[in-house]
Amino acid sequence: MTRTPDHLSTTLAALCDPTRRAILARLATGQATVTELAAPFAMSMPAVSRHLKVLEHAGLITRGRQAQWRPCRITAAPLKDVADWVAHYRRFWTESFDRLDDYLREVQKKGKQHGHGKRHDK
Amino acid sequence: MTSEEQELVLTRVFDAPRELVFKVWTDPKHVAQWWGPHGFTNPVCELDLRPGGAIRIHMRGPDGTVYPMTGVYQEIVEPERIVFTSAALDEKGHPMFEVLTTVTFAELGGKTKQILRARVIKKTAQAAPYLAGMEAGWTQSLERLAAYVATGSKE
Repeated sequence: MTRTPDHLSTTLAALCDPTRRAILARLATGQATVTELAAPFAMSMPAVSRHLKVLEHAGLITRGRQAQWRPCRITAAPLKDVADWVAHYRRFWTESFDRLDDYLREVQKKGKQHGHGKRHDK
Repeated sequence: MTSEEQELVLTRVFDAPRELVFKVWTDPKHVAQWWGPHGFTNPVCELDLRPGGAIRIHMRGPDGTVYPMTGVYQEIVEPERIVFTSAALDEKGHPMFEVLTTVTFAELGGKTKQILRARVIKKTAQAAPYLAGMEAGWTQSLERLAAYVATGSKE
């Protein structure tokens, strides 16, 4: 993975806002201008611009350089990092619980072998 | 948005009584036996089981690499619920952000239904200002979005 942990944190932070997620969902269908992005939200242009700045800082979008127009485009790499992290976390617990399942069987078998004196108590 | 959409939720049913499941979650001797992915051991496993108490686990991977993990218990209700925060670590063991994990245990005809919910609560360092209004962690819609955007590259 080429991106640093701080990038991942910044990405997560940027994604923790419903408006910004909605903006990303819109951009997933194609590039758009600030005016177009602002249209569905009851929000001022400066407020939308602030959201765009957060997304841009997180590397989730890039913006064109034409002075007036500056179309926004979504960037996939940081989202993939997040998906990877979620997958990693899910795998950690899923595998731990597989082991826990085996361990519980083992402990209960031992408990039976030792009659009522259940070894796992205390 | 429902809470399910905002969190990572994993449900499991274990064929064991609830008291035993709670015990193997809270006694370090037991936790060291199952914590972590396949092939991992836990040479250090210290659990100070009380609200505010520390969790310190060093996981050792099959290749010998040690992954330290730290956390703090927030709530313990025997035998039905454990709440703790932990630092999410990157591959080099640096903390990235904090995760709040809630594990509940319900009796299910002699078995135990365990539900784990995890959500990100805060970033540990520089990105903190962005987290001021943070209301959620993972969302399924986010995963879908990520999968949609990174077409085919998500595992």
